[in-house]
Amino acid sequence: MNEFKYNSLRAKYARLGHALDSNVFVTFLWLGIFAPIVFGSIMLFYGSSFGWLMFIISIVCIISLTIIKLLLTKVPVGKTDDINDILSANALAIMDKNPTPKSIAPKLINTRSGRFLALRFGLIPNLMIGVANDLPDDMTAVFENARKIKTQINAPQISGGILSIAIILTHPNHEEILSRMRLSREDLIEGITWYNYLHGLVKASQKKRHDGGIARDFTFGFTPLLSRYGQNLSSTRSLTMKTQLFRAEHKEAIKQMTDIFSNAGRQNVALIGPEGSGRSAVVNAFAEQLLDANSPIPRNLKFRQIFKLDAGALIGGTSGQGDIERLVAGLINEAYSAKNVILYLNDAHLFFENAVGSVDISNLLLPVLEAGRLRIIMSMDEQRYLEISNRKPALTNALNKIMISPANEEETMKIMEDQVPSLEWKYRVSYTYWALKEAYRLGDRYIKDVEMPGRAMRVLEDAARYAHDGLVFAESVQEAIEKSQGVKLQASTSTEEARDRLLNLEALIHEHMIDQEPAVHAVSDALRRAAAGVRNENKPIGTYLFLGPTGVGKTELAKALSEVYFNGESEIIRIDMNEYVEASDVNRLIAEGSVDAMSLTAQVSKHPFSVVLLDEIEKASPQVLTTLLQMLDEGILRDTKNHEVSFRDAIVICTSNAGADMIRENIGSSDYEKIKDELTNHLIQTREFKPEFLNRFDEICLFKPLSKEDLRKITTLLIKNVNKTLAPQKIEVRLDESAVDALIEAGYDPMLGARPLRRVVSKTVENIVAKASLRGDIKSGDILTINENDIKAELN
Amino acid sequence: MLATGLISWWYCDGYKLFAAKLWTKLGDTADLFSIGSLLRTLFAPYRQISANAGGKSIDDKILGLIDRMVSRFVGGTVRLGIVIFGIITLVLQSIGSIISLIVWPVLPLTPILFIALAVMGVAL
Repeated sequence: MNEFKYNSLRAKYARLGHALDSNVFVTFLWLGIFAPIVFGSIMLFYGSSFGWLMFIISIVCIISLTIIKLLLTKVPVGKTDDINDILSANALAIMDKNPTPKSIAPKLINTRSGRFLALRFGLIPNLMIGVANDLPDDMTAVFENARKIKTQINAPQISGGILSIAIILTHPNHEEILSRMRLSREDLIEGITWYNYLHGLVKASQKKRHDGGIARDFTFGFTPLLSRYGQNLSSTRSLTMKTQLFRAEHKEAIKQMTDIFSNAGRQNVALIGPEGSGRSAVVNAFAEQLLDANSPIPRNLKFRQIFKLDAGALIGGTSGQGDIERLVAGLINEAYSAKNVILYLNDAHLFFENAVGSVDISNLLLPVLEAGRLRIIMSMDEQRYLEISNRKPALTNALNKIMISPANEEETMKIMEDQVPSLEWKYRVSYTYWALKEAYRLGDRYIKDVEMPGRAMRVLEDAARYAHDGLVFAESVQEAIEKSQGVKLQASTSTEEARDRLLNLEALIHEHMIDQEPAVHAVSDALRRAAAGVRNENKPIGTYLFLGPTGVGKTELAKALSEVYFNGESEIIRIDMNEYVEASDVNRLIAEGSVDAMSLTAQVSKHPFSVVLLDEIEKASPQVLTTLLQMLDEGILRDTKNHEVSFRDAIVICTSNAGADMIRENIGSSDYEKIKDELTNHLIQTREFKPEFLNRFDEICLFKPLSKEDLRKITTLLIKNVNKTLAPQKIEVRLDESAVDALIEAGYDPMLGARPLRRVVSKTVENIVAKASLRGDIKSGDILTINENDIKAELN
Repeated sequence: MLATGLISWWYCDGYKLFAAKLWTKLGDTADLFSIGSLLRTLFAPYRQISANAGGKSIDDKILGLIDRMVSRFVGGTVRLGIVIFGIITLVLQSIGSIISLIVWPVLPLTPILFIALAVMGVAL
């Protein structure tokens, strides 16, 4: 049953077809048909009976061409379950006398399905040769696996693609091989199902569709106004491939639409669902069904045409309520008189509200809807529908509502697989399977204004611009999201330099601040986890509470992090929580972007890949802290308009001076972890923070007070910053040891940390440079050395 | 074995496949001319949009009636023309299909006929 017979009739047909079905040979046959007819006729005309013999050539060519096209290139499956009867023509054509997995592996790319899997799943000849064995007996196992796959996917025959998968699955370590390729057996099965589906679509598109013929619209009226302002979905759809519906919900929606429009009653349908959930796909599929002479729909719906009117475009193209009312009335009249038109009002909610970009013409539309004589489809967002039903219950009562919900992952993958060919044709690229999966994953995570499958489709379309060598990989999708969302998804571990940077984060951070090892370690570890992809993606990258006295580097660490990892200090979102001390301030904190561009949610939605620094958190009202719980826990915060804002690519740092005295008294003299526990208990007991708030942080970090030795290092950093400022003028400042001592002496205050030192540096060093510059004592290229006396002179 | 298989296919599965293709083509032509639909609506107004929109006066009603009559006449003429053209096309296609079905089995044998004609010296 699994023994391949090289000399079976099907195998011979397949090899012959493979050899003869070339463009050159087929052209030669066409020539062979017509040229002898011409020459033969001429010969007969001039009296030569040998002209009849020329016709024999034509006959032979006709028969050959017919056999090639109808038999040899197709080789229909046999009647038994024998492997020789169920191998496809392409698969049969690549088999040699004693095939082994290794001998056929490199040839599988010559089959359409094999090429499909090579392109989209990486099952390229080199990989296949590496995986395949060279033992003839192994071919039996390959055939057996292929047979199982054929049964599983209900395929009519075993194609080259199925053989490719079977060869891989026959390998004893196939799971490991597939894991390395970030694939699974199920993915490959999905891949060949995808190929078979597309192959079926191509075959179906080659058949002529019966859509009513040339007399179809003779009895219906002309629609000049609708043709001008609307889009005839029926004429557009008839030219393209058939819209496939993969969701039971969509199929049910079409059934309901058919019922509503074919029976007596209100002839309208309101498709309610979020943008991107496939409302348009439902209407397109319905339009196609109406035009299909063979579809099982009632006669009174056959060949009705759907005109799409885009509410936004209509409103934008007119000036004022009167204009739009006249235009819509004209369109409705025309649709009614034409007798074969179903109106489709896209974003119909714009016709029922008075706001920017919308106009309320419910007084015009309500009687039309209630009369039920004109068939109308409306689509609108669920939230807008609820708002309209609140304001105009009579209107929503007149509508036949059909709900459309977002697609799940399996449905979205199917929809993407269906849509990929048209995107590939449009952008001249090819999408790999990984790109589709990544588009779903990242679309779900980052695209918030539309729903699935719209999210994934948008990402997929954007990714076409980042194709490499015409191929769209998962990396292309990541690049598209990085560019459009301002997040960092790739390359953080892709180069040796990047890896070194991550491994030495502590050192890099210490170029900007000194000491505070526990906190620096904690945030560095979080970034390494994020870069290596081992973090929980449903939370922020890290959430930290920095506790310690003022001026010890809490804010500096946040800034340093931003500088080192988040592309510069502009990626820090800093909120002073002492501005949110009232319960009512919650609204300000989570205000929608159009209301307050500087609210926490507005800033994070614009810059999701940031350090979020919530300074002096202890001063915020308890209601504000409660609001932040979900953000700390799940990385999500909803703004006042209920839009979801993701903090999942941010590091959230809250700073507080609470318990500073306790830290100052105990740190250094006792175990760090012990002090941290005691301090946490102390903060809960004194009710400065609730336990559920403190529990939400990944880590609470204590910042110790600064010693004089620390201030010496800080002075070096401060002078480095001064020199950075002076760099464009090519002037450099150097301090001798005595000057540094003088600065520390003047700037040391155990209660206030490094802040007084910063002020002293500003007052002395910067003033000295300014005066010297104004006096003309220094010019470009000079080095200004400052000593103790200079400092003291400025201080006095 | 290959030659036997090809001959067997030509007179069995190939013949059925060819007949099915001819039948499909006839169906496509019938759909293109939609003769059934044309006959059902032979005297219906042709692509009319304005006749129903008239007022209630006698003049308007007379105008509407004339408008509809003209439209029905135009519709009837156009439809009848297409029906006649469609029927002729379908008849010709059917005849062509029947001839093709007759020719198909004898096609492989025609070289013998041509050889005979050549040997007999038949010319135009």
